[in-house]
Amino acid sequence: MPEHEPSSLLFATEVIHWIALGVMVIVYTMRLRWLFSFKAGKDRSAPGQPDKISAKDGGVYSLGNVAMPWAMESTRGGRGFVFWVSFVLFHLGVVAGIGLAFVSTIFPGVLQIPAVAWVVGSTMFCAFLVAVYRFFRRLLRPVMRLISSPDDYFSLLMLICWFALGVVTQAHIAGVERFASESWLIAYLLLTSFFLIYVPFSKISHYLYYPFSRWWIGKALGHRGSYPYSRA
Amino acid sequence: MEMKDRKVQMMEEQLQKKLTRQVVASLVGCVHCGMCNDSCHYVMTHPDDPKMTPSYKADQLRKIFKRNHDWTGSVFPWWVKAGKGLTDDDLDGLKDIAFGTCTNCRRCTYNCPMGVDTATLNRIMRGLLSHVGVMPEGVKVVSKDQWEIGNQMGVLKEDYIDTLEWMSEELAEELGHNRAAIPIDKKGAKIVYVINPREVKYDPRTIKKAALIFFAAGEDWTMVSEGWDQTNFGLFSGDDQLGGTCGKRVYDAMEEIGAERLVISECGHGYRSTRCEAVNWSGEEIKFTMESSVMTMLRYIKEGQIKVDKTKNAERFTFHDSCNNARSCGFYEEPRELIDLVTTDFEELEHNRQEGLCCTGGGGAMSMTEYTPRRLRSGEVKANEIAATGAESIITSCHNCVDGLGDVLKHYKMDVKVTQLVDLVAEALVLDEAQKAPDPVVAEVAAPAEVPAVPPVVAKMDEEKEMPADALRGRRILVVDDEEDVRLFLTTVLEDAGATVFIATDGNEAIEVAQREKPDLITLDLSMPGKDGIEAFTELRKTAGLEETPVCVVTGHPEFRKLIYDRPVTPPEGYMDKPVDEGKLVSNIRRILDLREKRQ
Repeated sequence: MPEHEPSSLLFATEVIHWIALGVMVIVYTMRLRWLFSFKAGKDRSAPGQPDKISAKDGGVYSLGNVAMPWAMESTRGGRGFVFWVSFVLFHLGVVAGIGLAFVSTIFPGVLQIPAVAWVVGSTMFCAFLVAVYRFFRRLLRPVMRLISSPDDYFSLLMLICWFALGVVTQAHIAGVERFASESWLIAYLLLTSFFLIYVPFSKISHYLYYPFSRWWIGKALGHRGSYPYSRA
Repeated sequence: MEMKDRKVQMMEEQLQKKLTRQVVASLVGCVHCGMCNDSCHYVMTHPDDPKMTPSYKADQLRKIFKRNHDWTGSVFPWWVKAGKGLTDDDLDGLKDIAFGTCTNCRRCTYNCPMGVDTATLNRIMRGLLSHVGVMPEGVKVVSKDQWEIGNQMGVLKEDYIDTLEWMSEELAEELGHNRAAIPIDKKGAKIVYVINPREVKYDPRTIKKAALIFFAAGEDWTMVSEGWDQTNFGLFSGDDQLGGTCGKRVYDAMEEIGAERLVISECGHGYRSTRCEAVNWSGEEIKFTMESSVMTMLRYIKEGQIKVDKTKNAERFTFHDSCNNARSCGFYEEPRELIDLVTTDFEELEHNRQEGLCCTGGGGAMSMTEYTPRRLRSGEVKANEIAATGAESIITSCHNCVDGLGDVLKHYKMDVKVTQLVDLVAEALVLDEAQKAPDPVVAEVAAPAEVPAVPPVVAKMDEEKEMPADALRGRRILVVDDEEDVRLFLTTVLEDAGATVFIATDGNEAIEVAQREKPDLITLDLSMPGKDGIEAFTELRKTAGLEETPVCVVTGHPEFRKLIYDRPVTPPEGYMDKPVDEGKLVSNIRRILDLREKRQ
C-alpha cells in the first residue's frame, strides 16, 4: 500500500472507527463518574511508619509495580518472571494494535518505514502467541476454568483475532504483495471499532480502573507503613 | 417475599453501605489472571482443589456486586458469571468459603498486579453473612461474649482481677517485695496496658512478665478493670459495629485513666484492630499514642531503661510475622531488632515480613473447629519452613499465631516451642540492685538500731505462706489424682498444713467421694484413666450441692488448660502445673478458700 487513497468503503470504515472511539470515550467517562460516585474510604488511624513510608510513597510505588517484576513474589523468579514477560509482550501488542489502527488512518506513511513496520508487526505477532497461550491456559487449567467467564474467553478470542489481523494489516500497509488487498485494513478497522465499543462493557476495561486500584491500595498500605516493604 | 430471599436482600442492602471507591475498584479490577493463586497457603496445600484460589473466593462477593451494581452484570449476568441470584440455600456454602478457606492474611493482595484487595473483599463477605446470622458457631459464640461480657473469652471481671492479683503475688514471691505489683485503674498513669483474654485464661504469666518489665523500666503504668480486652472479633466476623464497640471500650478506658500511651500486648489482630481499624469503625477521635508492647520493650532497651543479657536465650530461634502486624500494620523490623537484642542465634524463615505465610490461626480460624482438618493441612508449608531453619523455638508477636503454630507443630509432630517476645525479654532481663532490694521495714516494727538486718518481705511472705503451719486447719480437701506418688505428696503437704484430706483416683470416684464428704476444695488432676479430670470437672459443676465447690486443677499437661476453660461451666478457681511447689500449693489453696469466703 504505497499511498493512502481510501476507497469509499475504507473511508466509511475509518468514520465508523472514529465514531467507535467517541463512544468509548463517552462510556469511559460515565464509568469513571460511576466509580467516583461511591464515597471515598478514609483511614483515620495514625500513620504506621511515619519516619519511613507515607501514603504517597505507597501509592507511587504501587503505580510503578507494573514495571518492577521483583516487587511481587508472583512475578519474581522462574515461572513468575516468564509470566511477567508474557504480560509485557501482550500489553505492548495491545498498544501496537491501537497505534496501528489510528496511525493507519492519519499517517499511514509512518507504518511503511521498515523499522516501524517490523516493530509493530513482530510485537503484535508475539502478543498473538501470548494470547493463544493465555487462551489455552484459561481453557485447560482447572483453576483458570473455574474463575473464567464467557467474557474472559471472548475477550481473549477477540484479541487473538485482532492481533493476527493486525500482523497481516501491518504487512498490507508495508506493501507485502501477498496481503495487498484493502480488505485486510477494512476488516482490521471494523474489528477495532467493535473492540472499542465492546471494551468498556467487558473485563478489558480493567486498564481504566488500574491506576485507581493500584494508587488506592498503595496509599492505604503505605499509610499503614507496610508498603513498600523497606528494611530498617 | 420468602424468608430466604429476605436474608439475601438484607445482604445486598448491607453491601451497598460497604461500597467505597476502593472496594468497588477491587470488585471491578480483577481480570482473573490467576496470579494470586500461588500466594495462598490454602492453594499451596490443596493443589487438587481449584476452589481454594483467592479470586474464586472473592468472586462470590463479586457476583452479588455485579448483579446489583455493574452494568454488564445486571443486564447479562451469565456473560460475566454473575450467577442466577442467591438463595438462602447458597448462604451456607458461602459461609464455608468466606470463613473456612481464607484467613484474611492478605498475602494475595500483595501479589495481585491489579491491586485488588481480596482479603478485604472476603471480610466484607463475612460481614454480610454475619449480618444475617450465617456464621460458624464458634464465631457466633465468641462475638456474643464480646458483645455481652466485654471480652471474647467471656472472662468475668472478678476472674480477671483475681488473675492480676495472683500474678502480683507471684511477682512478690519471686522478687521478695511488692513494688512490682500490677496497678489497676491508677488514674493519671502514663501508660495503660491492655491484653488478650487468652492471657488471663491460658497464659497469665505473660501478664506477670510484662509487669516485671514495666517495673524494671520504672514505668508509670496501669491495667484497667474495664476495657482491658484489646482483641476484636469484629475484625474476623466482618461486623464493623462490634469492631467499633470493642475499640471504643478500650479508648474510653484510656480517657478514664487520662493516660498518654496505650500499650497493646503481643497480639496481631488486637494490635491491628485497636491501633488501626477500630478508629475507623468507631469514628472516635484519638488523642493518645498506641503501640505494640514490642515497640515499648524495644524502646526500653534502646533508651537504657532496662538491661538485658541475650545469652540467657541461647537456643536457636526463628520468627513468624503475624499477618495483621506485618502486612496490615507495617510492623516488620521492630520485632527483629528486639530479637537481635535478646537472643544469640536467629534464623529467618524462607518467607518472612511482607511475604510471611499464615500460621493458619488467622481470621478467627481457631474458633471455627469445623474447619480444623483443612486448616491443619494448610499449615504444612509453614511447618516445612520452620523445620528448615533448624530452630528450637519459633517466636511470634501474636496470641492467635501462638495457638495456630502450636497446633501445626503438634500436628506435624515437630519438637519446636512457640514463644513470644515478652517471654524472651523477661528471661533476658537483668534487674539492678535497687530493683532487687527488699522493701524497707515498716516504721513501727523496730528502731533501726535494734534491728540488725531489715527483714525482707520475702521472709514475711514466707512467714505468711508458711505462717500456716496450720494454714489449712479445719479444711476438708479432696485430692484427685491417679498417680500414687502425687497423691502421697499432696496429701502429706495438705495434712501438714492442717487439712483433712480425702482421696480419689479417678473421675468417678472423685464425684462419689465429693458427694459423700462435701469437701471445701478439690485438687483435680486432668489426665486420668476412666473418667478424666475434664469430664469429672464438668460433672462436678453440674451436680447439685457440689457446683460451688472450689476446684484447683493440678496437672502435668498445661495444654489441657484450654480444654477445661472451654467447658460451658464456671471455670476452675485455681490452676497449677506439676511439679507443684509445696509452699505455693498451700498458699494458693488458702487463697482460693479465702476468696470464696469473702464472696460468700
